[in-house]
Amino acid sequence: MNLAGYRLARRDKASRKLAVVAPVVALLLSIALNFALYMAMGKNPVAVFQAMLIEPVISWPAFSEVLLKMTPLLLIAQGLAAGFRAKVINIGAEGQFILGAIFASAVPVWFPQISGLWVWPLMIVLGGIGGMLWAVVPAIWRVRLNASEILVTLMMSLIAAQLLNFLLVGPWKDPMGFNFPQSVIFPLDATLPLILPGTRVNVALAIALIWSVACWVYLQRSFQGYQLMVGGLAPQAAGYAGYSQSRAVWMSLLIGGLAAGLAGASEVAGPVGQLQRSIASGYGYSAIIVAYLGGLHPVGIVFSSLLIAILYIGGDNAMVSAGLPVAAVRVFQGSLLVCYLAAITLVRYRVIREPKGIRA
Amino acid sequence: MTSTLNRRGFLQTTAAAALGAGLMPALARAQGEPLGIALVVPSPFGDVGWSHALAMGLDQVVAEYGDRVKITKLENIPEGPDADRIMNKVVADGNKMLIAGSFGYQNGAMQVARRNPDLSVLHASGFMVAPNFTPFAARNYQGTYLMGMAAAAVSKTGKLGSVSAFAIPELVSSINAFTLGAQAINPDIQVAVVWVNTWFDPAKEQEAARALLAQGCDVIYSNGQDTPSVVSICEETGAYVFNLNSSMLKYAPTKYLGCVATDWAPFFLQSVKAHLEGDFEGHTAYLGLAEGVIQPMDWNADIPSEVMTRITETQAQLTDGSMHVFTGPIARQDGGEAAAEGVILGDEDIVSMDWHVAGVTTPLPS
Repeated sequence: MNLAGYRLARRDKASRKLAVVAPVVALLLSIALNFALYMAMGKNPVAVFQAMLIEPVISWPAFSEVLLKMTPLLLIAQGLAAGFRAKVINIGAEGQFILGAIFASAVPVWFPQISGLWVWPLMIVLGGIGGMLWAVVPAIWRVRLNASEILVTLMMSLIAAQLLNFLLVGPWKDPMGFNFPQSVIFPLDATLPLILPGTRVNVALAIALIWSVACWVYLQRSFQGYQLMVGGLAPQAAGYAGYSQSRAVWMSLLIGGLAAGLAGASEVAGPVGQLQRSIASGYGYSAIIVAYLGGLHPVGIVFSSLLIAILYIGGDNAMVSAGLPVAAVRVFQGSLLVCYLAAITLVRYRVIREPKGIRA
Repeated sequence: MTSTLNRRGFLQTTAAAALGAGLMPALARAQGEPLGIALVVPSPFGDVGWSHALAMGLDQVVAEYGDRVKITKLENIPEGPDADRIMNKVVADGNKMLIAGSFGYQNGAMQVARRNPDLSVLHASGFMVAPNFTPFAARNYQGTYLMGMAAAAVSKTGKLGSVSAFAIPELVSSINAFTLGAQAINPDIQVAVVWVNTWFDPAKEQEAARALLAQGCDVIYSNGQDTPSVVSICEETGAYVFNLNSSMLKYAPTKYLGCVATDWAPFFLQSVKAHLEGDFEGHTAYLGLAEGVIQPMDWNADIPSEVMTRITETQAQLTDGSMHVFTGPIARQDGGEAAAEGVILGDEDIVSMDWHVAGVTTPLPS
């Protein structure tokens, strides 16, 4: 990269001190930028930041909502990161999420009177299967036909959204729902048990944390995880070592699909409680950001999903309590990400000034 | 949802509501705190459309009450868990009146209402009622009947079209009334509908409008769009167009047939007054011409004057109740009879309407 005589050179060794300072600097920089914006808008910046950054962390009702919002992001991002490490870029988690939601919903939609403690676990399992099946298609296309999984997974998401539409305006529409495109409201046993009293946080959070541990073991401690990483970092070396590339594609997509399917199931059986169009609210895409923010590392992703969830809930708070328009909330969220990416780039790279007259 | 409400819970709620309704406003007044009113809508407020009309209604409340009310307006809130959280937050922040501006907020808004008996909730387009929970809707069908008369008068092809959001009773009844109004002028008129299944997707809405225009429709009813997407396409292609809620005349200066505007101010003012005086009582608020909520306006000069005279007369009759839109005989699309000669459909039939009248050519999605 060469911009007006400057270029970036990778540092031989990223400074650990810089790596810790960078996110803080990014946060302070974006606060400063937006401080000016809020002043110009006539809002009280202190009240805005109080609502946006402090309240989600110190108020228990708000923090419980952070945990709820974090759950699907954490699940999906952990699954995607496994693939991203192997350079299998699955950007269709949104579609796999929708299929997970649909598969899980099949139980209460077909058996609205169903009861039993085994119902929600069955729905979660079905959701995981649904997500995996949706990821099978791009896997076959990539392995057999060498089609880019980036395109195929993305397009499969569009198909999934239409499938959801079809079910909701057609066969799965609530017969008592005045023609609104939504399913019946799930019976109690078809919803996830709450684990923190007085909040909406359900057992899916525990599943997401267990899943994170499993991902850590798989990626950091198992031979297969090592193979995935080598395949991503040095495909030729992986080839010489006899690691199968098609197996890496299959594993990456299946893990990603499974995770997104679990998240979809836990969303319909969790806070939503019925199958409706608004379940496809972009978790699958946000999780891509979460995965990269977390450095594609299982531990990093726990923190990045928490951060993104805080930004969501804080943004809502700022709208409600500080009267901030939704566009200004998005500006803050976006500027924080941009500042962070810039900061992290400067941790990994140095800026070098090219001497005049020499072209890189 | 309602089935989970047992008798004991109901008694507690009602008792608490009675107590809350009696005491809370007095307390609030004593402390001199303004009444917090929050409006939550699924689309951007923008310059026109459904959400805009709701926000305009609240502006009147501010004009009337000034510092005694504090308004929080929240746009772009997706139906589902996010809306539930935001409505809870709104109440936790001390707002005592919640206007939930979309059908999809129903379950969440009802939960908030049950947990907070001193809260008054106005919910758009729903069917659930509780002591502190009033569902409200506009009798748009009264206005679309008049628009149907105008549409039939200016149409050359005899084909009318509608780009419609969701096949819910509110929209179905307004299309039926539009068709009946058109048939009052031209009995052979045909109405085609495209269901876009979204409240807010300008690109998709424009595609739907183009499809209807390509089929020969020369008057388009933009039904449930929050932007001038359909209106501006019609101006470009030279087809007449009208819409609901708020005027989009400036987006179609020559081809704008008119607007079935909604003015929520009378209803909001009345509800705020009731809440402040402690006698807010949940009921179904179905509001039309008579209440001044439905206001047809911006009629196009191309409408022949004799038809315009008939429209004005009909509007007066609908307003004073001497005439009803859904008066038999009404034939269904499938050939059945919806209402026999002289029978007038009641509100309960209109709010649950899931059939089209004869003359609508598109089948209803099922």
